[in-house]
Amino acid sequence: MGSSVKNLDLSKKKERSVNKTVVILDLIAKNHPGSFEMLIEKYGNLVWSIGKKFLGNQSDLEDAVQEVMIAIWKSADKFDPNKASEITFISMIARRRFIDYLRKITKHKSEDSMDDDNNNIHLYKESLLNEETDLALVKSAIEELDTDDQELLNLSVYQGYSHSEISEILNIPLGTVKTRIRRNLMKLKDTFATNKKQSTVIQFKNG
Amino acid sequence: MDREKEKLEQLLDLLAMRSLMPLSHTEELEMNHLLDEFPEYTPDYFESTAAIADASLYVHDINNLSSMPDSVKSKILGKFNSERKESVALKIFKNFFNAPRMAWALTCMLAIGTSISMIEFRNYESNYRNLPVKKAVLEFASDDLIEYNWFAQTDEFCDCSGSVIWSDDGQRGFITLAGLPMNDPTQNQYQIWIVDPNMHANPVDGGVFDIITADAPTIIPINPKLPIDRAKGFAITLEQPGGVVISEQPLILTAPKERPESSYGITQTTI
Repeated sequence: MGSSVKNLDLSKKKERSVNKTVVILDLIAKNHPGSFEMLIEKYGNLVWSIGKKFLGNQSDLEDAVQEVMIAIWKSADKFDPNKASEITFISMIARRRFIDYLRKITKHKSEDSMDDDNNNIHLYKESLLNEETDLALVKSAIEELDTDDQELLNLSVYQGYSHSEISEILNIPLGTVKTRIRRNLMKLKDTFATNKKQSTVIQFKNG
Repeated sequence: MDREKEKLEQLLDLLAMRSLMPLSHTEELEMNHLLDEFPEYTPDYFESTAAIADASLYVHDINNLSSMPDSVKSKILGKFNSERKESVALKIFKNFFNAPRMAWALTCMLAIGTSISMIEFRNYESNYRNLPVKKAVLEFASDDLIEYNWFAQTDEFCDCSGSVIWSDDGQRGFITLAGLPMNDPTQNQYQIWIVDPNMHANPVDGGVFDIITADAPTIIPINPKLPIDRAKGFAITLEQPGGVVISEQPLILTAPKERPESSYGITQTTI
């Protein structure tokens, strides 16, 4: 009996901790006025930055970003803070949509660079960092990879190079690139899951 | 390395690739094959890992984050406002049904309308008179319509005729048949098979049907139980009631005549 009361208490604490970090998608799901504008303000730059990596053409990028933001709005009610953080949910939708869009237009990533406008970025960075503990966890997971693997992750995940492009850049066989990327993602997935579990335990302990 | 482990690693390679870049058509087909063999994995296996690793880059290194231009923000807001209007209209429609009196009145009207339509069109699916309409509807909806004639595989069914009309894009189609003997549904049923050697090792179940009259030709819709990539052929067998997953019965009719080449080396006489 005592144990079940304690468990209930812990789950309430977890819920409170989760609710504290999740705001915008909840507001959108409840049709709160101005919530979509808040979404653009907080995550617009992130979505834009992810999109730039996949789509070199400005017009494609603009079209795809519009689709992504609308898709996020439509999927807000599917967001479950117990499964993923808000930023992970948004990044997942964005990446999947951009990859699908890229396939649709069958264009490869171009090296065209578009004008960057980094005004007010500090604000966004700070607001994202303060709210998303998942990102701190994944950072430590990435730091656990060796330097070569970090470079591979940088080229594939961050810079958006295809496997065959990476094979040429690093001058290693395509099969090796595939295997190493798969192993890195697997390692990251496992480490991230373990770290998250430990972090949840610490959060519970600290109340 | 044993074959099973090799396949799993190949699947994980493809899932990792899928989370990072578009897969080619061949890679996608291969991934789907392997996912059939390892149902505990899903296509989005690595998606959240890639997403969170990606997001962390922009959060931890300010130089990687770019500002969305104001013109794009305005476009997004414009699109959002127009989509929201549509969504509000839909909501009003839904709310209409929440008012009990209105909902009952409309439901009664719909029920009466549906009953009349059902009486009028109860034979639409199987009535041969509707063939031109059904064909036109399918043609209108799909650009990739294919049509094959049936060929009997034994002399017993040499009087059978008809064809298969199918759209890969629409994932639907129907068969027309004449001359097939009537069956007793309590004893056996005819079953349609779709041969899609690129995506499925075995022919895919396209549904069962009965021949209730030998006097007139009939139309039977095809209901594939799995997604079809490219249908290369069709077949009909006589099976136990309800059909089977993999047939061991002889082929009755095939379309086209010769079985299309399969990369899986399936036998020619049975499915």
